[in-house]
Amino acid sequence: MSNEFAQFQDAFFEEAAEHLAVVEEGLLQLEQHPEDLDLLNKIFRSAHSIKGASGMFGFNTVAQFTHKMETLLDLLRNGQKAVTPQVADLLLRSTDCLKTLIDAAKSGAPVDTETVQRLTTELATASSSDRSSSPQAAESAKASPAAQVDHVHEYTIDWTPPEWLFQRGLDPLQILKELGNIGTLSQVTIDTSRLPDLAEMDPEKCYLSWEMRLKTGKDRKAVEAVFEFVREDSVLTIAEEVRGKELGGRSDEAKASGESIGTDHSSPTPSDGNEENPKPLGEILVESGVVSRETLDQALAQQKRVGQILVEQKAATPQQVEQALLKQKLQESSAQAKKTDTASIRVDTAKIDKLINLVGELVITQSMLSDLGARFEMRQLPVLMERMADLERNTREIQERVMSIRMLPIGTAFARFPRLVRDLSTKAGKKIQLVLSGEETELDKTVIESIGDPLTHLVRNSADHGLEPPEERLDNNKPEVGTIKLNAFHEGGTICITVGDDGRGLNRDKILAKAIKQGLINENDKPTDDQIWPLIFKPGFSTAEKITDVSGRGVGMDVVKRNIESLGGTVTIKTALGKGTTFALKLPLTLAIIEGMTVRIGRETYIVPLLSILESIQPKRESVKTVIGKGELINVRGTYLPVVRLYEVFNLQPEHTDPVKGILLILETEGERVAVMVDEILGQQQVVIKSMEQNFRKVEGIAGATILGDGTVGFILDVRGLLEIARQGAPLAA
Amino acid sequence: MSKTALIVDDSRTMRQMVAFTLTNAGFTVIEAEDGKDAVNKVSGGAKMDIVVTDLNMPEMDGITLIKELRKMSTFKFTPILMLTTESALEKKQAGKEAGATGWIVKPFNPDVLLKTIAKVLPA
Repeated sequence: MSNEFAQFQDAFFEEAAEHLAVVEEGLLQLEQHPEDLDLLNKIFRSAHSIKGASGMFGFNTVAQFTHKMETLLDLLRNGQKAVTPQVADLLLRSTDCLKTLIDAAKSGAPVDTETVQRLTTELATASSSDRSSSPQAAESAKASPAAQVDHVHEYTIDWTPPEWLFQRGLDPLQILKELGNIGTLSQVTIDTSRLPDLAEMDPEKCYLSWEMRLKTGKDRKAVEAVFEFVREDSVLTIAEEVRGKELGGRSDEAKASGESIGTDHSSPTPSDGNEENPKPLGEILVESGVVSRETLDQALAQQKRVGQILVEQKAATPQQVEQALLKQKLQESSAQAKKTDTASIRVDTAKIDKLINLVGELVITQSMLSDLGARFEMRQLPVLMERMADLERNTREIQERVMSIRMLPIGTAFARFPRLVRDLSTKAGKKIQLVLSGEETELDKTVIESIGDPLTHLVRNSADHGLEPPEERLDNNKPEVGTIKLNAFHEGGTICITVGDDGRGLNRDKILAKAIKQGLINENDKPTDDQIWPLIFKPGFSTAEKITDVSGRGVGMDVVKRNIESLGGTVTIKTALGKGTTFALKLPLTLAIIEGMTVRIGRETYIVPLLSILESIQPKRESVKTVIGKGELINVRGTYLPVVRLYEVFNLQPEHTDPVKGILLILETEGERVAVMVDEILGQQQVVIKSMEQNFRKVEGIAGATILGDGTVGFILDVRGLLEIARQGAPLAA
Repeated sequence: MSKTALIVDDSRTMRQMVAFTLTNAGFTVIEAEDGKDAVNKVSGGAKMDIVVTDLNMPEMDGITLIKELRKMSTFKFTPILMLTTESALEKKQAGKEAGATGWIVKPFNPDVLLKTIAKVLPA
């Protein structure tokens, strides 16, 4: 609409997304508490805000659609309509549609008018059955009444304002001035006849009336507009004089003033904020004169959408087509959103203030130190130590605070689940309640963004495989409604997220049978439970008897595990037959800093990510074997693991070349293990990861680098890469 | 001295846009995110040249805010404009009864906003 407001578009989209989330969450809650008026008001306000602001940017489709939703919400709010599951469902579908409309407004993508139209009709039907209100057609009102310049008019205006004029902050003088702005005022007379005696007069009331003549180039509407705020409460007559009859001698002047008004007539601003798409083919053909408009319209009228054709052929129901279209929109828009997402983050000012405060302290500590250094004597050693301790404290605090800027509550990642679970429960015909806790637990923004998909998968899995149908639950003396619990909490330097259900639990025998069938386990093996559960993370492993729409296609759990591990996290399973399954994800709080174990090989220091270290051993001579074609292996309690001699991989001069004298670290990633030989374990510390690719190039077996305490560069081992190296058997020359 | 304006709207974007327009027009702007916030911000005796308020807000809505403001000696005669959508024009009457000076229909452009303010702003 206006270029001046264009800069607020991003803010609008950000806010609209927040409001959409409120609406969606609210609607979901509303299904459980249909009588909750506060909730309805909240939903209404959010919809209202979207409507108001979208209009400001000329997103008229958004504004009109939201208006329809708002109308229905208003009826619900006033108790004129009841919140039925159908209504809630319609509003939820409308929210989805609104989401696509807003995304379309953002990306400039075309709008699926068919769905919008259908939902608009549905919303109107739902709103109108009780109240046959005429639809507000003029939603996209032109904001500025365009001034029209044609004739010069002469009006006689008679105005008696209401007595309480002043109490509404109105000033008659302002109105006279305004009239003066649109034309020439003359013969202004004040009628004071209603003015009471001074003793009786209330100075806060208006007792005056005016009569005046106005000569203007604008039409009657413009004059009425001046009285806009008082008209309905005033006695007002605006009578038009026939021009030139009474004041004919001054018509030249009137013309002149009319023209001068004409020049400042501002052209209305075009209101096509989101229509910068290339023209459709038909338009271009018409423009270039190849076909006429009529021919085009006829041709277009014959054209059918794929969905329509499918419906006509009875290959799909209209609902299915609509669902698919919505899905398509969502996919398109999410792809768009990924592209256009600017990496901005909103930070609580309190966090920044605290940070500035800490930087201040750091500066003070630094100046005290340099002061001390300038004239240092040995007897001041305790003072130096004290200052150093201060410095350490400041640095640590600043580090923590800076990290916390990137921290967001995990609630943002949880927010999608109420809707997901609702949809899943309808689809699977199960009754499911979702319990969320620990939403306020904070973790790194990038981690939050990356765990969305794995979490979704786990929740889907619980809903589909974990929980039993209501009848089966009742048969087993369980409550009919199944529960899925999502919880997040901090544990040491990591965050733990659990996804649990009270369903049937993992079936040991089924998994074992499948594993033997797939050749993952030897038939004669007697694996422990802890060895069996992780099998479900193997690629292509699914024990589901039937493949459902939701999950069970044999892809997924391995992807979940891989995703989590690529974030430097782990997945563990706790399960009890008939009682339920809980997946526990352990993730680092941030990807920028890891807990590392520093190890020495010769004179070089390397860092091993702590999360991947299972144990460290000094093997006995007899447990080290060399197998032809497989290289060196070590027997750890019955399992043979490949041995990687790091000094060979990185071409170093080691202290020990004999595994029995050195130390073997047993590392695990993606369920596979490898024994890595080093000279010595130095200790444990947090290290900041610096990318190798960005600063140098990718190096096999190295995940990144860091600066060590003595200023030298230490390399961080890439456990996955080492596994690859072990698999190839031949060490690479670095 | 520059004129002062109090802007009350629970929508961040709307608030920012109104504030932006008024700041550019030379106003000193105070923002409040709902009626309660607005009352808190001016109850200390601050005087404003104009108030622009949304109607639909949590905590305290626009109509109540206008009533509250009119009770204060500092806001007895201050022009108060309400931001309303076309469909909420029935609220116009309630607003007038509460003491609103006038209204601006959303969506509006900066020109209309400034013109409407100029219409009611005491010289």
